Amino acid sequence: MATLEVKSEVTGSVWKIAARPGQVLAAGTTIMILESMKMEIPVILEDGGTLSALHVAEGESVTEGQIIATLTE
Amino acid sequence: MSPDDTDAKGWQPEVDELAFRRAQADALGGAAAVAKHQAQGRLTIRERIAGLVDAGSFQEVGRLTGQGKYQGGKLVGVTPAPYVMGLASIDGRAVAVGGEDFTVRGGTSWSGDRKKGGQGGFVEDLAHHYRIPLVNLIDGAGGSVTSINRRGHAVFPGVHGFERSVQLLGEVPVVCAVMGAAAGGPAGRAILSHWSVMVKDTSHVFAAGPPVVERSLSQKVTKEALGGPGVAVDTAGTIENVAQSEAQCFDMIRRFLSFLPQNVWQLPPVVDVGDPADRVEQELLTIVPRNRRKAYDMRRLIRLVADRGSEFEIQPTYGKALITCLARMNGRVVGFIGNNPLVYGGAMDVRAARKQTHFIELCDCFHIPIVFLVDVPGFMVGLDAEAAATLREGMRSVYVGLQATVPIFTVVIRKCYGMAGMGSTDKNGLDLKLAWPSAEWGSLPIEGGVAAAFRREIESAPDPLAREAEIEAQLRAMASPFRTAEAFGVEEIIDPRETRAYLCRFIEAAQARLATGLGPKAKYGVRP
Repeated sequence: MATLEVKSEVTGSVWKIAARPGQVLAAGTTIMILESMKMEIPVILEDGGTLSALHVAEGESVTEGQIIATLTE
Repeated sequence: MSPDDTDAKGWQPEVDELAFRRAQADALGGAAAVAKHQAQGRLTIRERIAGLVDAGSFQEVGRLTGQGKYQGGKLVGVTPAPYVMGLASIDGRAVAVGGEDFTVRGGTSWSGDRKKGGQGGFVEDLAHHYRIPLVNLIDGAGGSVTSINRRGHAVFPGVHGFERSVQLLGEVPVVCAVMGAAAGGPAGRAILSHWSVMVKDTSHVFAAGPPVVERSLSQKVTKEALGGPGVAVDTAGTIENVAQSEAQCFDMIRRFLSFLPQNVWQLPPVVDVGDPADRVEQELLTIVPRNRRKAYDMRRLIRLVADRGSEFEIQPTYGKALITCLARMNGRVVGFIGNNPLVYGGAMDVRAARKQTHFIELCDCFHIPIVFLVDVPGFMVGLDAEAAATLREGMRSVYVGLQATVPIFTVVIRKCYGMAGMGSTDKNGLDLKLAWPSAEWGSLPIEGGVAAAFRREIESAPDPLAREAEIEAQLRAMASPFRTAEAFGVEEIIDPRETRAYLCRFIEAAQARLATGLGPKAKYGVRP
């Protein structure tokens, strides 16, 4: 089972989380929305899988490249 | 045997020897070395050239070079020089192509009377004198200390210098593909290109590999971690694109070259894909959300506007706040530069600035008009951005844009603010600015400016928050793009669905200017 790491493309904060661990998600799903440069930045899955963990909570700061979620294929 | 018998055979013995020598060249470093190389998932240099160029078009130059082995004065074998090159065609157009043969001494340099490849090699002269593109298939570590043994002295750096490599960058398209491990000279050679590509898992590029790094810095690092695409492409932008396989790499090279002229004295080829210039896409009317906090997909926008399926993105994984791609509009090659609102709201960070600088130079050099699709709130802000020299790299991009002489077309999609916004216009040319109704501009976004500019007035109001919102609303009403159009401060506000037709019309109109501005571009001044 391959593990996929979802990384934040931006430095900013977590505005809304839109998925729960355990959910089976298709590629293209928005799992959370970050806020950066006064914009809502959706985190969209490039590949589908089962969401095994979310590593951030709403309101937390994130940095570019930080692993924010893990999926298993 | 009488003299007449010898004449009857003519030069057959020598022709036989020629066939033997050619067979030795075709065998590269020998069956064992070739098998070992292929077992690592890599093609040989001869397979690479065959995979890249039109079938049967390769005309080798220097096939006999190498080290002959003689017994009692009789030839028994030849170890070929570790570089294979010559003339070929790609999609019917001539190119010079060459690459190191890793199966012979790991593709290290070879000392013949004349260098075959790499910097200052015959393959570069071929591209220069015939004014045809150069494709380097790089797979070598450059110099080796063993050459001191061979020569009896150490070679001064630059005996085989980069002067021709540099000259070529102003004359003909140069593509460098890193096909294996590239360190030293070959790694440097890869950078001196208009476009570079490497292959996932099997290629690595660095100034020096892990053994040298460990001796110099006591850092233990793997080849992949030091010079794989994760560093070289995604993080550093040293190499522009990644291919998933060698076969895909050859496809990408052919595709990149399809957009470029043979040299700077010609215009890029026109390819009509049968996509009407006045095609209307309804989706463009709704692609930009009315909510200013919501982003949209700029790549999709470009796909909707450009000739169907014609886009080729340069550096898709580096400097992601900006999208640069070659594409066609009504058959003619253009370079699209679009800000990406999904990454930092499209703000220009140091990587986006570098990417824009390179892309403008590429387009300007080969007479490719540039289309800016603008949605930029300004240069990136913050401590990291300042420490990374965003201001300097951003202004360098503005400087290079102002030196460019190709026609530049500006379509303001949403935000166009500050110096980054100014850098998206054609100040040396017609300065044609088209704007969508969603467009907004100024020296800085209103929401950022109101609190600072009206601080005292807001603080002294009975309800400061309400007062701030009120001022913002007043200013925003006056910031309508239609008011700027009344003043002819933008040339046109367009229905987003008309974007393709407008651009095609103006790109067509710019052809006479492009055709009369051919040749190398002079460079002057000092880049900031």
